[in-house]
Amino acid sequence: MTAGRALFILALLTPGLGLILVMIGSIFYVAIAQSFGYYNLAGESAFSLEHWAEVTGSKQFGRALGYSAYIAVVSAVGSVLLAYPLAIWLRRPFRGSLAIGALLKAPLFVPGLVASFLFLNVIAYHGILNQSFMWLGLTDEPIRMQNDRGAWGVIFLQLWKNMPLALLLLTGAVQSISDEVLDAARDMGAGQFDRFRKVIAPLTVSAMQASLIIIFIGAAGDFAFQVTAGPTNVQSMAQYMVFLKDSFGRWNQAAVVGVSLMGLALAGSLALAAAARFVLRSGRW
Amino acid sequence: MVECDVRMTTVDGIHAMPALRAVGITKVFEDGFKALEDVSLAVEPGEFVTLLGPSGCGKTTLLKTVAGFYQPTEGRIEINGTDVTAAPPERRDTAMCFQSYALFPHLSVADNIDFGPRQNRVPKDERLARLTALLRQVDLEAHRTKLPNKLSGGQQQRVALARALALRPSIVLFDEPLSNLDAKLRDQVRREIRSLQREFGFTAVYVTHDQAEALAMSDQVVVMRAGRIDQVGAPEDVYNRPNTAFVADFIGAANLVPFERSGNGHITTPLGTLRSAEAPPDNATFLCWRPEDAELGFSAGENLIRGEVSERAFQGSYTELHVRAGGASDQRLHLAVGAPAQGERIAFRLPPEKIRFVRGELS
Repeated sequence: MTAGRALFILALLTPGLGLILVMIGSIFYVAIAQSFGYYNLAGESAFSLEHWAEVTGSKQFGRALGYSAYIAVVSAVGSVLLAYPLAIWLRRPFRGSLAIGALLKAPLFVPGLVASFLFLNVIAYHGILNQSFMWLGLTDEPIRMQNDRGAWGVIFLQLWKNMPLALLLLTGAVQSISDEVLDAARDMGAGQFDRFRKVIAPLTVSAMQASLIIIFIGAAGDFAFQVTAGPTNVQSMAQYMVFLKDSFGRWNQAAVVGVSLMGLALAGSLALAAAARFVLRSGRW
Repeated sequence: MVECDVRMTTVDGIHAMPALRAVGITKVFEDGFKALEDVSLAVEPGEFVTLLGPSGCGKTTLLKTVAGFYQPTEGRIEINGTDVTAAPPERRDTAMCFQSYALFPHLSVADNIDFGPRQNRVPKDERLARLTALLRQVDLEAHRTKLPNKLSGGQQQRVALARALALRPSIVLFDEPLSNLDAKLRDQVRREIRSLQREFGFTAVYVTHDQAEALAMSDQVVVMRAGRIDQVGAPEDVYNRPNTAFVADFIGAANLVPFERSGNGHITTPLGTLRSAEAPPDNATFLCWRPEDAELGFSAGENLIRGEVSERAFQGSYTELHVRAGGASDQRLHLAVGAPAQGERIAFRLPPEKIRFVRGELS
């Protein structure tokens, strides 16, 4: 390739790729620099490890990191597990399958905060669910379900919101497997679960990885579900970051949490994707 | 029941059981399409049977019904005397070679072949022995670690065959396995399949629309049309003694001429008055003769037909002539040597013993 041609290609790529690199790069740069003491909005800007030491040494940070990782792993794995049977069911068209598919994907179009408030209406102390339980005689008094300590409300919302995304990605992948390949597995003695384990899952591992990564990153950085329906005894990383920023303007410490959150998203999603590929390709499950 | 060809081999006075018996199979799909209608068939152990017919005649549906992928609407399937009609494919003693090969793209050649035995919990030593032997037999030892997409079409087909054989099924079902191969490779894989079938002694049911393939490979040919069986027989019988106009026309080339009986063993046709060695059956609708049966070099005598060559096509080992004779449509002649030129007037003779009678319509 000549230098002129290379420059021409670079020029063609610049409007798209350049914008992406500048946008992402500037965010990374500012977050990382701020976490090391630069861009200090409330004091002197200079290199310092003090903010890292303060944040990582706090118990609250450890809990937030563990909590966000837990929510992200359960949301990503749970969404994929729920989406697979549906993707296989919708693999071949049948009467009504289009409508069912559209209905299942509807949560994709509902903003997270709206979904949270709808959910609160359902599970609130005087909400629809409690009223129904009492009307049916299942309970004598309302049950407190809001902001539960096990974070089941957040996990439910994450699954409700993210399962359609996994379904979207997995349906295409599952549909690309030919009938004859599945018939061959069946012919070789593979039952329904073995066909999934030995043929469908390994052949759709890329779509599964994409789902796991996207959902993990989104769920790890969740703010909206956590502040509306999450437990009050623990904060998510995003919530903790905002808390630090809002309390005495600790921007540099908030940046430490932000960088840690990016690290968690990167490391966690890669680990999850690698684990999925290793387990599925090795066939040891 | 339209056709029932339940044949029983007698071994030392004992009736042996067919490896496969399909009895009164009817298959109607959800959209109401009737793919099979009252089809009955028996296949002896170790026999190579071909289901032959045009696209949409129901041959693959019948094969998939035998494999268990389709449930028959009516009728039953027996394998080695056991009724397996309700059994799923994974519980049947059959293995299928698919048209697209259907190899598992994420598994190596060795893992593809080992899939069935592993699935059926065959002991590890036995699996390894089968794998080694099969890789040698299909000449793929050097490719055992490759993924299917690194193999040629012929090699992929051989992996598919080895994968089916690794299960040691009593019946191997072939669904147009050579249709994606070029002509030369097709011939080679065809001979390999037949050789392996003889070596392993498995029963084979083979689906094709290629009549040359069917005639070359089979012990028995089952000719199907519109969800029914038209004729079952050895390749020579089906070719030389077709029952119906459809079979005569579909297997090889045939000239079909309407006729009327005129007494004294003679028949009146648009080609002229002819004499046949056999009397036409009551239900016969056409007389039939093969293009290679015409004899040139006669100027007088019985069954002599005169006409003009309207088309001439060199086909390599023979030349095909279309001859306009009498009021009949063009008659086809295959001549190995000395074919006349287009436009030339010729006379040819039809030997009476080569004239057959068939029933039914052409479509």
